[in-house]
Amino acid sequence: MSQYLEVSHLDYTYPDGTPALFDINVSIGEQEFVALIGQNGSGKTTLSKCMNGLFKPTSGSVIVDGIDTRGKGVVKQLVTRIGYVFQNPDHQLFNDSVQKEIAYGPRNINLSAAEVKARVDEAAKVAGVSTDLYTTHPFFLPKGLRQRVAIASILALKPRTIIVDEPTTGQDMRQSIEVMEFLESLWQAGHTIIIVTHEMSIVAHYARRVIALRQGRVLLDDTTRAVFAQPDMLRQTYVEPPQITRVAQRLDGLTPRDILTVEEMQDAFRSAVSRIEKKG
Amino acid sequence: MAITAEAPGGARAAKMRKTLLGYVPIESPFYRYHPVTRLVLFVFIGVVPIFIDMPEINFALVVLTILLLLWGKADLKRLRIYMPMIVTIAIFMFLVVFLAPGNDPTYTPVRIGPATIYYQPVFFTFASYWRLMAMLFGTILYFSTNRERDMLVALRSLKLPFIASYVVGFSIRAAGMFMEDFSTIREAEQARGLDKSALKLADQVKLYVMYLVPLFSIALRRADEISHALFARGYNFTGKVGRGDKRSDYILTKYTMTKADWAWVTGLVLAFVAAAVAEYGYGGFRLVHSPINILLRQALGIG
Amino acid sequence: MGAAIVIKNLEWKYEHTTQFALRGVNLEVEENTFLGIVGANEQGKTTLINCICGLIPHSFNGVYRGSVEIYGKPVLKMSGLEIATQVGLVFADPEAQFTAMTVEEELVFGLENTGYDLGKIKERLDWAVDVTMIGDLLDKSPYDISGGQKQRMAIACVLAMNPPIIIMDEPTSMIDPLGKQFIFDILRKLKDAGDRTIIVVEHNIEQLAPLADQLLLMQGGQISKVAPPARFFDDLPMVVGSGAYPPEVTSFAYWLKQSGRLPQEHILPYRFEDGVDVARAAFNSARKTDEPIP
Repeated sequence: MSQYLEVSHLDYTYPDGTPALFDINVSIGEQEFVALIGQNGSGKTTLSKCMNGLFKPTSGSVIVDGIDTRGKGVVKQLVTRIGYVFQNPDHQLFNDSVQKEIAYGPRNINLSAAEVKARVDEAAKVAGVSTDLYTTHPFFLPKGLRQRVAIASILALKPRTIIVDEPTTGQDMRQSIEVMEFLESLWQAGHTIIIVTHEMSIVAHYARRVIALRQGRVLLDDTTRAVFAQPDMLRQTYVEPPQITRVAQRLDGLTPRDILTVEEMQDAFRSAVSRIEKKG
Repeated sequence: MAITAEAPGGARAAKMRKTLLGYVPIESPFYRYHPVTRLVLFVFIGVVPIFIDMPEINFALVVLTILLLLWGKADLKRLRIYMPMIVTIAIFMFLVVFLAPGNDPTYTPVRIGPATIYYQPVFFTFASYWRLMAMLFGTILYFSTNRERDMLVALRSLKLPFIASYVVGFSIRAAGMFMEDFSTIREAEQARGLDKSALKLADQVKLYVMYLVPLFSIALRRADEISHALFARGYNFTGKVGRGDKRSDYILTKYTMTKADWAWVTGLVLAFVAAAVAEYGYGGFRLVHSPINILLRQALGIG
Repeated sequence: MGAAIVIKNLEWKYEHTTQFALRGVNLEVEENTFLGIVGANEQGKTTLINCICGLIPHSFNGVYRGSVEIYGKPVLKMSGLEIATQVGLVFADPEAQFTAMTVEEELVFGLENTGYDLGKIKERLDWAVDVTMIGDLLDKSPYDISGGQKQRMAIACVLAMNPPIIIMDEPTSMIDPLGKQFIFDILRKLKDAGDRTIIVVEHNIEQLAPLADQLLLMQGGQISKVAPPARFFDDLPMVVGSGAYPPEVTSFAYWLKQSGRLPQEHILPYRFEDGVDVARAAFNSARKTDEPIP
């Protein structure tokens, strides 16, 4: 059975002749939480832009919910299925008020005025953009809010899959957790979330599946746990598992090698103690 | 796309390198010459067509430029990006002259099927087109065989004040940043369901107005950051240093003019002057001397 | 050794804002030490370093009270160039700070501003290029190199000026993992050389703490804590509450301490290797004990 998003034998070469992706085969189903990781130049962003049809395959194919991204006039069909949030919100805010900004996508797909309004209100609410801000120019909002408006403007198109390029770059830990908890809630609500990121602790806490790329090819594609259990492979694309995972991997079998968070380390410690107690 | 040691592209031993304005070969015989020599060549090819009406000579200049590009190891495939410009200019120029040729009793009407065109303005446009092409190719040659630094060194060697060459460099760089932002914004728009192929012309124009919002907001934020960066580096835009001394110019010391450079510069300047004298003194490059013009006039029976 | 920077009762309010961004900051930074500044965004970290490098008040408008002195001289009375020769600043976004067309041009730009002679310029240039490992990038456009390379170049630009004080504002926040590693390697070299005062604002405490002599926590426009990394995390909930997240090894060790598995007097580890040792010891002792874990 084919999945919601099917990437098969995808090659991508930039118009200037620089090849970026080679024979990528990935399928992503409903309600997944995927992280694309890898060194700069590994092809993360290129792949994510191929997934939503911004870049067309040089060869091979990308099929989203049965729609081939190479088809003519598929832009409007694609954006209601797969949304893309750019890293810098300034690149995607081009209206003179927050309300118009969020309404921009729904208007493009020719929804009725009433439907547009309903979508704007809903998306703003979900993304935590207060209606008081509707008439504000996005330019004057702080960065965190600009990013929320950017996400709301994509949510208003109701895509089942949302790709977010570096959601936590330039944010502090608390803001990062805030935006990730928000993406998590969208995931809970049934969306598929794909993030492109360099922050491994974020990956460990939120992503259920990791696709690691190296020089335009898939290096690893597995559960987060399985991927971080292979530090030697990851090193090929200059990625290190989170610190606590690396600690676990140094403990020579005292703990599982695939611990992802401090909480899991604590659990491992508790069970190590209770195992002793039972034996005792 | 950056081709760097860290990127996968590095392994493929790039022959070309992206500059702010185009692509230049990594190695080229042009680099043996001083940037000033190359700038003089550019001025020669780019400006000399002003003196030349004859399309044959301008066409020959275009051919010469292409030969120089080949010799300079430039990748001619990259020139594809200029094709739309070359074609669009032709379409515009000829459309204008076909649709609104003007009305002059000396014009010779030529009937082509149901349409009537006038020979003189059409031939004049044809000649002007090749003159423009010669200038355009001269520019392409310059930007395809000169790295950013070469341009700066050329300007500074000619004793342009530091601040002027700095502003030139900075503008070129700003243009590059602008174009990159522009393409990202267009992508972002497509990601919001805008299908440009389905837009009416009026809406496309409106769209360009919309781009201004993000472009300006990004530019504003950048301008702030850049002025802070300049402050942090101790620069005050006078071209003088703190103690009032003149700035040293380190980059310039890496280049020296050779005998070959002087020979070329002298030759090109003389040729330039000769062309100017031939045209303004003797009308040597007027359209009346154009063989194609003469042939066509004979064919059409124009006296 | 004396103090390189002395800040007294510093208060600063940006124009068009109602609240003071800095509210009574007092700080002395010893010469040739490494100070790490942490804290959540919008708490005054960047404002504080902008005050040290003179951007505030020279390039911003607002209300300024108190004083910042660099080697005994108030920045208020120093010219931009004078400050630039004392304090080098590296910004978070490497893109923003470039104004030239090639890497080399960018590097010598600041040097040419100082009025050094050509020999001196060459010497400083070579040294900075060497420390930051960017020798192969010199004739490239700053626009055409990776984010990590840009940041190394930005650091080289500052090093070339040879200021006794170097400040970096989140130097790794915009770059990829390999690029980050390069930056921390450069910081390590600079610290080991020991002839410079270094101040780094950074969210990545895991990498920052092992380099720092002192860590400083900014909260609500005030310094809420300054301590060497070994003592900085003593009151871990306070640090976490402020939005600065400690290294994972520190968090785990703190939990062990709270669970009675680590003596109260034990210093919380903040280096990876120390964290491994603490964890190993704890797991090994778990085998020999039967005390329940709360």
